[in-house]
Parts: sequence; C-alpha cells; structure tokens
Amino acid sequence: MPADPLHILIAAMVSWVNFVTIDVFFKLPERGGVSGATEIGRHIEEGGGALHGGYMMGNIVSSPDASAGTLLASCGVYAAGIPGGLFAALLVYVGNRICYDPGYAGTTGCITATFIVYGFTLIGFSAAEFIVGMVIAILTIQGISHVHSSRLLSTLWRWRQG
Amino acid sequence: MNWPDIALALCGIIALYAAVRVVLEKDTMRKLPFLNVVSFAISGSIILLIPHPLAIVAAAAYFVGSTLESNAIASKYAGGPKNE
Amino acid sequence: MNEFLMIVFGAMVILGGIATIISRDLFDKLISLGIIVAGIMPFLADRGLLDVLTATALIAPLSTIFILMAIRRRADEP
Repeated sequence: MPADPLHILIAAMVSWVNFVTIDVFFKLPERGGVSGATEIGRHIEEGGGALHGGYMMGNIVSSPDASAGTLLASCGVYAAGIPGGLFAALLVYVGNRICYDPGYAGTTGCITATFIVYGFTLIGFSAAEFIVGMVIAILTIQGISHVHSSRLLSTLWRWRQG
Repeated sequence: MNWPDIALALCGIIALYAAVRVVLEKDTMRKLPFLNVVSFAISGSIILLIPHPLAIVAAAAYFVGSTLESNAIASKYAGGPKNE
Repeated sequence: MNEFLMIVFGAMVILGGIATIISRDLFDKLISLGIIVAGIMPFLADRGLLDVLTATALIAPLSTIFILMAIRRRADEP
C-alpha cells in the first residue's frame, strides 16, 4: 500500500504533539537526568539556545523517553497490532532501566501511542505512516536547528510551570 | 533505478541528512542530537524493511544500544561517574 | 532493497569511515564509528538476519563503552 504524503504530514503532527506533551508533563526540561544530559544542555546554551530546552534534548538523547516510546509503539503496531505495541512498551521500560532512568515518561508515551496509532489505523491510516511521521517529528526537534527548537521547548516549559 | 515506497525513502534520506550534519558539526556534544536522529531513522527503516514480530526486538535492541552509547560518551565527556 | 536505498545507506557507511579517519578528537572518532554501525543495520535487516542484527546492535555499544573505560578522562588531559 503506497503511503500518502498528506497522511504522513498528519501523522507527524500527531506524533509531535503526543511526545512533546508527555515529555513536558513528566518534567523532562526541569534538569538533566544524568551528567551527560546536563552537559549537552550546557553546550546547547553556549551555542545560543535556551537552557531548559537543552536539558530536554539531552534527556531525549541519553535515555529512551516518550519519543522512543512513540516510535517503537508504531513499529509494534505495524508488525503485530496492539500486543506488539504493549510488548514494545515493555522493551522501552527495560531500556530505561538500563540507562538509569525511572522510565515513567517512556512507558506512558509508548502505551498512549499504541492506542493512538491503533485508532488511526481504523480510519484509514497505516502504521508505516506513523513510523516515518515520528522520524520527521524527531527531526524537527533534534535535527534542524538546536537554537530554535530549544527556545521553543523552553517556552512550552514556562507554560507548564504556569 | 526502481524507487522504493515513499516512507522508506524518507527514512533513508533523513538518516543520510542527519549523518552529514553529524560530520559537519564542530562541537562534540552538539553532534549527539544528530546521532539520535540517525538512530531513529535506522530503527524505522529496520521495521519498514522486514515487518516481522521479531523485528520489534531487533529495532528496540538497536535503539537502546545506540542510546546507551550516546549516554556513555556524554557522561565520559562531562567527566564521568567516579566508579568508571 | 533497491538501488536507491543501497546508495543512501552505503553512502552513510563511507561517510562514517571517512569521518572516522579525518577527525582528530577521540570522542568524534567514536561518534563517527556509530554512523558506520548505523549504516550497516538496514543491510542486515534486508537479508532477514535478525539474530545477527540484534547481536551486532548489542556488541557495538558495549565495545564503545569498554573503549571509553580505557581512555583517560577529559578533565585529566593537560
């Protein structure tokens, strides 16, 4: 089944909203979880970005969080349906424990993404569109411009703090 | 040249783009987010190439391994935990 | 796998190899080695070697961690 570019765009936006909401809700931008994440945040700030957005990007790099959960949940639904998504959540939890992380954000993101992706497959989307959509979503955060994305994430963090 | 499915082609192009950005970036710590994009794109490509239930384990193992590598490099660069 | 993907992932392996050779810093070399490993994975997946892929995906980061244990800390460098 050939993928539709419009569906990929919608899937990218849904994945972006899912993982950024869960990451900000679980206070990932507050501080670096491990010393490496703190160091990445400091270097992004030196390059002109914002500190709390840099911490969140460092946390995404150094342990599997809700973004990895969304990707692996789409992979699981693509290969094996709902049980595949829940199995992927177990794998994300194990991966979080390996990286010295509590693992709430990754597991929660994986389980919510499983049901979101399954719901979208019922209305004509393909799970493959969500896989490439999540790759595009992580590209907009980590791969285009660190300065602008860290400022955007810091703005969202200020809203979360109220 | 026959063209692949658009999803797989996008994953490949994004992986190559992020790899080029890793090589061009000067600061060592700012390379790591681009390497993270590479591992996302490659994990997606693995599943899209072979949709088999065991491929979930393979993609998760690759992703977690790559994350662990980035984590170790970053903490070593920062000075490292004292017990290493 | 068709020619387009072969060219893309092969270019990643070659790019990672060149970057490993020409970069000066040890950490830069290790990150470039990560690109080579990333470029190999889709070829293994395309041939259906999922067990080899899983083993390679676990061996590569562990060897990186052992290399990191062997080098000096950056703070200790003069």
